[in-house]
Amino acid sequence: MAMAALRREGRRFVPLISPQPISAVQSSVISQEQAPQGVRSISTQVVRNRMKSVKNIQKITKAMKMVAASKLRAIQIKAENSRGVWQPFTALLGDNPSVDVKKNVIITVSSDKGLCGGINSTSVKISKALQKLTSGPEKQSTYVVLGEKAKAQFIRDSKDNIELCITELQRNPLNYTQVSVLADDILKNVEYDALRIVFNKFHSVVSFPPTVATVLSPETVERESESGGNLGVLDSYEIEGGETKGEILQNLAEFQFSCVMFNAVLENACSEQGARMSAMDSSSRNAGEMLDRLTLTYNRTRQASITTELIEIISGASALKG
Amino acid sequence: MASQTAAVPFWRAAGMTYITYSNICANLVRNCLKEPHKTEALTREKVHFSLSKWTDGKPQKPTLRSDTPED
Repeated sequence: MAMAALRREGRRFVPLISPQPISAVQSSVISQEQAPQGVRSISTQVVRNRMKSVKNIQKITKAMKMVAASKLRAIQIKAENSRGVWQPFTALLGDNPSVDVKKNVIITVSSDKGLCGGINSTSVKISKALQKLTSGPEKQSTYVVLGEKAKAQFIRDSKDNIELCITELQRNPLNYTQVSVLADDILKNVEYDALRIVFNKFHSVVSFPPTVATVLSPETVERESESGGNLGVLDSYEIEGGETKGEILQNLAEFQFSCVMFNAVLENACSEQGARMSAMDSSSRNAGEMLDRLTLTYNRTRQASITTELIEIISGASALKG
Repeated sequence: MASQTAAVPFWRAAGMTYITYSNICANLVRNCLKEPHKTEALTREKVHFSLSKWTDGKPQKPTLRSDTPED
């Protein structure tokens, strides 16, 4: 009871005591919060605001991860089914990434939305390297860009080599008709000897390496088959019906391009969701760690302010006692 | 049946590519389905993207291709 009276008196006298200079240990905490000099009670408001916003960010990134996971599940089935569409073409015509042609068109598939980690940057890097590799005297390569993110990166330094830019591809769920209309538009607008499609192939949720798929124009296929090598066996096939070999090769080339594009777009979409999942996951983890550190700072600040108040009360009371 | 030996098929003479031809055929097949499956299948034909050509490092006005399953 006596202590309570002392405490009450101490508190009454506390406002009369001139503000104590803040000790060095606490001043480091204060200077972060930019409190004016000489204020006694250390404010925890700033730290509390930061904690609230970090917690909200953590919730949002967790939700984004869940959304990406569910989208991934849906589109992964489609991508795996679409692999069977281009495999017969590779069985027939082979894959010739090292073919040497005059006009190369590099098609870069990327996403429209961000927050998906580094997949778009790797695709762009590979495309630029491919462009350097395939250009030279009498050889030329140009870009066809799918997706906003790659477009932004290409605009910076390869503006002159861009032929077409396509965006808003994922407004509706991806289907073959859409990709084939797109492929048709590309074929109409671009002349090429070889098309190289750069995309991120989906192996698993954590592994999506960039890959290049090559589609040759019918003239190039003719040339290669005459010169022997992989395509030399093409002549040993019999052709039924009234079409010539050139006709068939042209139909095949167009259809092959459409199928390979379909697979590329689907696999890239899968990789995008997978990359977004892991990016959001590491983001939530970082937010959690940040929250832990902030909580420690908050508690330290809070305890320091309690200790300061106690010291003032007690020193006030002892000053009274004389 | 094919009286043409080296003549071009009708659709290529009309300016279509094989892709356009096969899309039209696919659309015809989808329209042969009966009701609940038909609307499902037709939703798988929706097209939407925006294409812009570039000349000399400058983009031209983008053309929007939307909701047209075939050319």
